[in-house]
Amino acid sequence: MAHLSLTPTSKLISSGFVWLLWIVLGFSASHTHADTGLTVPQRVTLSPNWYTQELSISWLGGGATTFDLIILRTEFNETVFYETVSPTVNKVSGLHQWTWTSVNPLECTSLSVKIRSRDGHTTSEWSQTETLQGNDHPNSEQRVKVFPQDKVLPVGANITFCCILDEGMVLDKLKYDGNTTSVTRLSRRTYSTTVFNLVASRQSGSNMLCLPEDKEKLYGTVVFVGYPPLPIDFKCETHDLRSAVCQWGKGRDTHLYGSQRGTRYFVNNRDCSEVNQDVGQKEATCTFDTWEGNWTLVAKNLLGQYSLTDTAELSHRVCPVAPDLLSVVADAWNASLSWHWKYDSYSSLALVCQVEITATEDEKLIKRVFSGVGLRSVFLSDLYPDEHYSVKVRCGAQQNFWKWGNWSKLSSFKTKTYVPDTPDAWIWLNTDNTGKVVWKPLTRRQSHGKLTQYEVFLWSLEENRALAPAVTLPPNNWSMPVNLTEIAFFSNNGSVVAKVTARNNAGSSPPARVHLTSVEPLAAPRIVYTDQGFPLFWENNANATCGYVVEWLDAFCPQDCPVEWIKLPAGTTNVSIESATFQPGVRYNLSLYSCSSDARELLKRWQGYMQELVPSVALTLSASQQNADVLLTWKEIPLVNRRGFLLGYNIYNSTGYQFKLLENVSDPETMSYTAKDFAKGFIKGTFKFTVKAYTAAGENTGTTATVTIEPYTDWLILEILTSLGLVTLLLAIVTFTCYKKRKWVKKAFYPDIPEPKLPSDWPRTRGLLDVKPSPHSMVCVVETPEYDCIKDMLVAIPEEDEDDAGQGIGDESVDTDEPTSLRYYNQMVDERPIRPRFPDSSASSISSMSSAHTDVTYTGIQTSGSSLVLQLDPQGSSECHQPQLDRSVSSGGGGYRPQMQPRAPSDDMDLPSPESFLEPQAACSGGYKPQGSWQLDSPVDAAEMGSLAPSLGSPTSVASTQFLLPDGEENTGEKRQLSSSAASWLTNLLSSTKP
Amino acid sequence: MAGRSTRGMNGSNGSRTAPARAAALADLLHYECSTLLELFRKKENFTEDVTDRRLVSVPPPSSQLDTRDKLWRIHSALLQCQKLLEKAVAKEEKELGGGKKGEYENKRKLVKERLPLLILSTGELLKAAEGTTSLTPSVEGLEVDVPTGLLDLKLWVYQVYKEVNYWSKTAANTLKDLPSVIVKEGARTTRARNRRSTRR
Repeated sequence: MAHLSLTPTSKLISSGFVWLLWIVLGFSASHTHADTGLTVPQRVTLSPNWYTQELSISWLGGGATTFDLIILRTEFNETVFYETVSPTVNKVSGLHQWTWTSVNPLECTSLSVKIRSRDGHTTSEWSQTETLQGNDHPNSEQRVKVFPQDKVLPVGANITFCCILDEGMVLDKLKYDGNTTSVTRLSRRTYSTTVFNLVASRQSGSNMLCLPEDKEKLYGTVVFVGYPPLPIDFKCETHDLRSAVCQWGKGRDTHLYGSQRGTRYFVNNRDCSEVNQDVGQKEATCTFDTWEGNWTLVAKNLLGQYSLTDTAELSHRVCPVAPDLLSVVADAWNASLSWHWKYDSYSSLALVCQVEITATEDEKLIKRVFSGVGLRSVFLSDLYPDEHYSVKVRCGAQQNFWKWGNWSKLSSFKTKTYVPDTPDAWIWLNTDNTGKVVWKPLTRRQSHGKLTQYEVFLWSLEENRALAPAVTLPPNNWSMPVNLTEIAFFSNNGSVVAKVTARNNAGSSPPARVHLTSVEPLAAPRIVYTDQGFPLFWENNANATCGYVVEWLDAFCPQDCPVEWIKLPAGTTNVSIESATFQPGVRYNLSLYSCSSDARELLKRWQGYMQELVPSVALTLSASQQNADVLLTWKEIPLVNRRGFLLGYNIYNSTGYQFKLLENVSDPETMSYTAKDFAKGFIKGTFKFTVKAYTAAGENTGTTATVTIEPYTDWLILEILTSLGLVTLLLAIVTFTCYKKRKWVKKAFYPDIPEPKLPSDWPRTRGLLDVKPSPHSMVCVVETPEYDCIKDMLVAIPEEDEDDAGQGIGDESVDTDEPTSLRYYNQMVDERPIRPRFPDSSASSISSMSSAHTDVTYTGIQTSGSSLVLQLDPQGSSECHQPQLDRSVSSGGGGYRPQMQPRAPSDDMDLPSPESFLEPQAACSGGYKPQGSWQLDSPVDAAEMGSLAPSLGSPTSVASTQFLLPDGEENTGEKRQLSSSAASWLTNLLSSTKP
Repeated sequence: MAGRSTRGMNGSNGSRTAPARAAALADLLHYECSTLLELFRKKENFTEDVTDRRLVSVPPPSSQLDTRDKLWRIHSALLQCQKLLEKAVAKEEKELGGGKKGEYENKRKLVKERLPLLILSTGELLKAAEGTTSLTPSVEGLEVDVPTGLLDLKLWVYQVYKEVNYWSKTAANTLKDLPSVIVKEGARTTRARNRRSTRR
């Protein structure tokens, strides 16, 4: 109050604010609670559905349409649910009710529920807490429990399990179907786990195990996961035209079995489950005594139900029962089948029935359909006599056919026997008019019963009587020998037929007729086998009134051959003959006969192989030498061994490493072959000849004959003598010709050497021949660079020195025919063997040999031991030097270069110019020129040569033993030696011919 | 064992080879039951084993038991096994069966059919040991408590199989250890067995 007195205005304001605040708060409080008219919900009741895990909460009062609902796990005070809900209200009792579905089983732990009324933002006080006691409550039974117990859930659902342990127990793990799951603790003793998207369980369910740590015992529960039922194909039908039988398929596997969880079926509210519990049965049925026309199938299990309906009139759903008590009355070719119906009502029912007949013989199935009102018997035709059959029947309604009824049981019967079919008979004759009547064995279907015998009559057509009593043959005999000669005797050469009949218990067959007449053979053209057999064509024969017979057999069968035949109707003009008995490599004769009432006539024949093979045997071959020829002869291959049409022979010669075809003999009739001149040119030796016969399939292995060839010496000697005679004659002619033409030969091959021409001022007086080497007297023959011109100098050697020199040389022979005045030697003195020296002509020789009496000898051709020693230039220079005798003599140098020596490659050599002789160097590069090409003899040349003219004589010695004509410059030394020896021989020859 | 079996046996009533035949049969049953247990474990995904809980009540083994007592003991246990097995099979088929029959069901049927043969053999041996006035054990008063929960039912069935397995093995061993000559010892031990048979 003091404050108020001190500041009355502020006090007033502050006290007013406080009061206002209290008023606002008080109003607000009264508005949100009782003051607003909302009352607290009373008498909250909890009603659990343990299986569905639903908690139904009901309460009274509240005065609102909406309520706040909170659900807590009591023990841990955890909120499980807190929402504002709008419960349903019972208008009579005013009870509010709302249902909550728990994820966890309600037994897992205690739940506390509180409710308050809500009107917008206004709420009432919370109601008193209502608790649903769980199984983990201390007062509950002290044992391990797992929830939910044995629940059934659909595939794909989720489930939460909880395990309540005993006090003091510790959880180890939770496992679902062997797999450990994650655990959530709900209370002190309760643990939970959730399994999502469940898969279908096995028959005994999936196990949820709660494993405490002590593991003394397993705890848990079982859950079954499956599908709701889904039946299919629900249809009802009648068998007795009165009651109804409904059928359906069970559809997919629900994975829920047994009386507890298996599917239960209801048809028109009638439980049909008991008869359909077998899970292995896919179909289910339910029977009704009357035809209701409308049916509803309901299939139920714990997961749901499914319904199917069917509506139909009785006449549209008739499915006859299986015919009963089948009986058969059989004849030879047919039978009557009858049966009984279980229901008399069928007598007025139009039925269609299927009859299946199976022949025991070939297990061939025959299906036949019959119809009729109340059908209970049928006639089965076209059966075979003496045949076992089995038959069964099923029927359906002819009108408004629904489905076939069940098959009856099989009934067996056997048809009666009947007379056999006519045998198929034919005749085979040997060349001696003996033969046999043959017929084909009758099959079981043709016999019509067990055959007892065959009978054969020989019947004269003219006399119309049997020539002899019937011949009876056992049923396993299919031929009878005949002798046409004897038959002709007894029948007076009349026409005779053989009649063949077969007999069984039912009687004899109609007879088969075979004309016993021989036929003349015809030429048989070849025929080629095709995929369809032997294709035979012929023209129609008017006489073939009863058709044709085509017969075939092994062409090389000699006696009583296994003949096959086929009978063809009249008018047939072609047929392909195929037989299982055809063998490769066997030649078959195929014959076409016409059939008439009077006789049989051979119309045509063919020969062919089904498949040609190479001949099976080798030839018999022999070989012999006929002078220079080799003759091969062989024998014909037997027909049976040819195995094909023989086309010829191939003849081979084997030379050890080579197998050569000598000849192809394309004529199979040829039986020999001559290898012409085979022995010529061979020395003695052994040769093999192979002859192979061949067909279209190829050649056989062949036969080899060995022949030892004796050398054909007469011919060899003759050839040698002829050759010798020819050579002798040729030599004689050549010798004679040479003799007659010896002058020409001499002129051509050994002309005279012309006399030297002496100038008029040639001093005739004898005097001392002052031989001074002319500056140009050097003959410098440069062949190769290693020859120096200095080495090729010609040196005049006094006669008196020669001996010494010659003695000094030693064994060199000396041409004693030479004049003794002067001889020129040149010699290449080196360490190489002495080579032939050729004559030379040089200016010095001319100057020194001025006398006509002086013979100049070119001794280079001879191996004269010259004292002239030309030593090599120690300097090895290739320059040309002026000849200096002393030096030359003392020092030696290179020898004379023969004119045949190849020159060094030089243009000057090829095109010698006058200047080349003027220049020493040019002379060095030139070689010796033979007389034949001597040019300086001409005045012009002499004039051009100037001062060289006096020394350019070209003396030719008649005593020379050398050709003065040059050989080719490219000749080699060896060639020169050969030509020199040949020339010596020819020279001697010509010399001997000189007059 | 074979030597013992043939050495001093009395061939007048065929008991010379009966123990051996019974032992072989017990061996076979033991093998079949082991297979059945394995199939059951696989089928139910029982990876963990549980502590054995005896369902069969017989006197404990003792070295003082004579041949007849031993025979009586195994015969009584096998009879209890048979009753348990029949109950287990029926209950299992009812609560958990109804589906297609597989290997497990076939083996279960085999064991169920073979067990009476072994019981018959041991009964014959027991008769041979005690004479015609023998007092064979009875299971008429035996009550079988079948669990209601399906998992407990499975565990119980499993335990029944284990009992059959155990007692077939025990029977095999006992029969193999029987003396060669089974002599009739009179009714000396009858009273004692009567007392034992009431124990659980």
